[in-house]
Amino acid sequence: VTANLLVQFLAQGVQMTLVLLIAPLAVGVVRRVKAVLMRRQGAPLLQAYRDLVKLVRKEAIVAHSASWLFRTAPYLIFALTWVAAALVPSFASGLMFNWAADVVALVALLGAARALLALAGMDVGTSFGGIGSSREMMIATLAEPAMMLIVLTLAIAAGTTRLAGVADFFIAQPFTVRVSMALSLIALLIVALAENARIPVDNPITHLELTMVHEAMVLEYSGRHLALIEGASHLKLVLYFSLLVCLFAPFGMAPAAAGLGGWAIGLLAWVAKILLCAALLGVWEVSIAKMRVFRLPDFLGIAFVFGFIAILLAFLSRGVLA
Amino acid sequence: VLGLLYAVLDRDLKRVLAYSTIENVGVIFVALGLALAFRANGQNEGAAVALAAGLLHVLNHSWFKSLLFLGAGAVLHATGRRDLEGLGGLIHRMPRTAFFFLVGALAISALPPLNGFVSEWLLFQAVIAAPELPQAALQFAAPAIGALLALAAALAAACFVRVYGISFLGRPRSREAAQAHDVPLVQQVALGGLALLCVLGGLLGGVLAWGIAPVLRTLVDAALPSGQGPTPLSLVAFDPARSIYDAPILALFITISSLATAAIVHRVSERRTRRAPAWDCGFPDASPATQYTASSFAQPLRRVYGALAFAARDTVAMPPPGDPRPARLTVALVDHLWQVFYAAPGRAVLAVSLRLNVLQFLTIRRYLVLMFGALVILLSIAAVTT
Repeated sequence: VTANLLVQFLAQGVQMTLVLLIAPLAVGVVRRVKAVLMRRQGAPLLQAYRDLVKLVRKEAIVAHSASWLFRTAPYLIFALTWVAAALVPSFASGLMFNWAADVVALVALLGAARALLALAGMDVGTSFGGIGSSREMMIATLAEPAMMLIVLTLAIAAGTTRLAGVADFFIAQPFTVRVSMALSLIALLIVALAENARIPVDNPITHLELTMVHEAMVLEYSGRHLALIEGASHLKLVLYFSLLVCLFAPFGMAPAAAGLGGWAIGLLAWVAKILLCAALLGVWEVSIAKMRVFRLPDFLGIAFVFGFIAILLAFLSRGVLA
Repeated sequence: VLGLLYAVLDRDLKRVLAYSTIENVGVIFVALGLALAFRANGQNEGAAVALAAGLLHVLNHSWFKSLLFLGAGAVLHATGRRDLEGLGGLIHRMPRTAFFFLVGALAISALPPLNGFVSEWLLFQAVIAAPELPQAALQFAAPAIGALLALAAALAAACFVRVYGISFLGRPRSREAAQAHDVPLVQQVALGGLALLCVLGGLLGGVLAWGIAPVLRTLVDAALPSGQGPTPLSLVAFDPARSIYDAPILALFITISSLATAAIVHRVSERRTRRAPAWDCGFPDASPATQYTASSFAQPLRRVYGALAFAARDTVAMPPPGDPRPARLTVALVDHLWQVFYAAPGRAVLAVSLRLNVLQFLTIRRYLVLMFGALVILLSIAAVTT
């Protein structure tokens, strides 16, 4: 049992490293696709890696009024997001985390990272930090329940809250279109846009005070701290891509008992799917405009209502009325 | 949820905590209600999960709420103020209290790996099992409960980020806050002990579930399958194949990855750190009044939820151009609960008593007539009933 645990531990470590390595590439793809569609030259695909290295090398500047929380938060945020990203089965479903924590824990881990980031934003005591934290928490009160409803819907359908179990269930099932699944997909897409601060909820490249949310919170960060926060947001993007493909397109993923060959296929399929998602996100971001902050409740409300209808349908299809 | 909406909008530290108790008691009653529903339908396993969620939440709530109230007391002791708008920057003046209060605030927001999340997790497991209940009404009610629970958890996080961020972080908003001193050692030990309980309760949820197993067996003839998980400390709902939450492993991975990140980043990075004035997009203002306040933090939430729950209306009174008076923003809130349960009966009593007030100024003859009439009525009632 101990040897088995050790192997699982190592495999989990490999997966965590992979997630970490691919994250900046995905961001590079999104930016590149946007640039090409706008007929700009665009930065090279690997620019995100270079940015991170550059930031790490620079000296960190910390405001006079900042406390220890400001300096420790980036490390914790990065670690929490990283563990959460590792919770999502990527290329194989039989890894260690498939039993250590479930979808409810995943949502809560992301919530913890967000709460810390919002606190760090308020630490220096500037107006921008406050505006970012306040808006981020407002968005979170809408997006998080929607997310929870979606994962509960899927858990009810699969009969387990273990993500790997859900993925195994959908691999084993013949492909059918279900209303509750379709609604969950739309809701999850909306939540993913909101949580990753993408257009139309937030604009990752703006520093205009009327529209900033995420960027306002991290405005005071620099150097290695900023690198960690940027890295965490890249990881979060890959996490949501992985979650989407794991739940709605799990084909190619190695099942629990697969050997190394199965893992290799799963790995290739996963990388291809992540890059495809990144390209699609690029196309999406070019084709729409940013929304006003106070129109967001309507947009996220759609996700919440869809999530609610989906879980209602899931209840009815499992319950007596089926 | 409504309790939390009050908490999000209130500006008094202790009142915020009291309002959030409404939410927590609500969570406990949801758990107990689900346990009863499962029990009534003979599904003892589901009842055990729901009841365990309720009991653990009672325990956890007693820990983190005591911690937060003691912390609020420490803030009151150190600064003499409870209104959030006058606090700020306490993390510099009261570092230990600030750390313990942070633990409590994160625990009450149901964030892993602290204890609030353990009971929240169990409760969600119980909600997911609710489709197996035969009553159609519960089939509709359970998803709504799940949605409201998720909403409550997210609002709790927003509420306590606001409380902590405004009172402990940022720059001091008053002289008292700027000159605060940390509380004596005895109080710090009390806070630290409760914070430790919150952490341990979060990590050892499996052990606690094992501890309350006899109670569960007595009440619902079933208990959580403890000790069957992959590690001895994992918390299992229903069945290891179905749902596991292993807080020690999760905490271990979080610790390893944060330490590894710190070690690697410190090795490759330029290790220097420079202290400088805040950047604030190039236009910093030295006055602490330019910070976000408790009210401004709550403003987006007020706009999103307040309009529905409290009929909130903002009115801005702008002076005409050239007038040097400041613009005023007034917020009007209508408290529906107060209107229905307190104000309406109050108005009814007042109306009736005003009507009856006439009786006070009658002549003696009329009083005698009234007494005679009352006597006749009472006697006839007595005659009819006997």
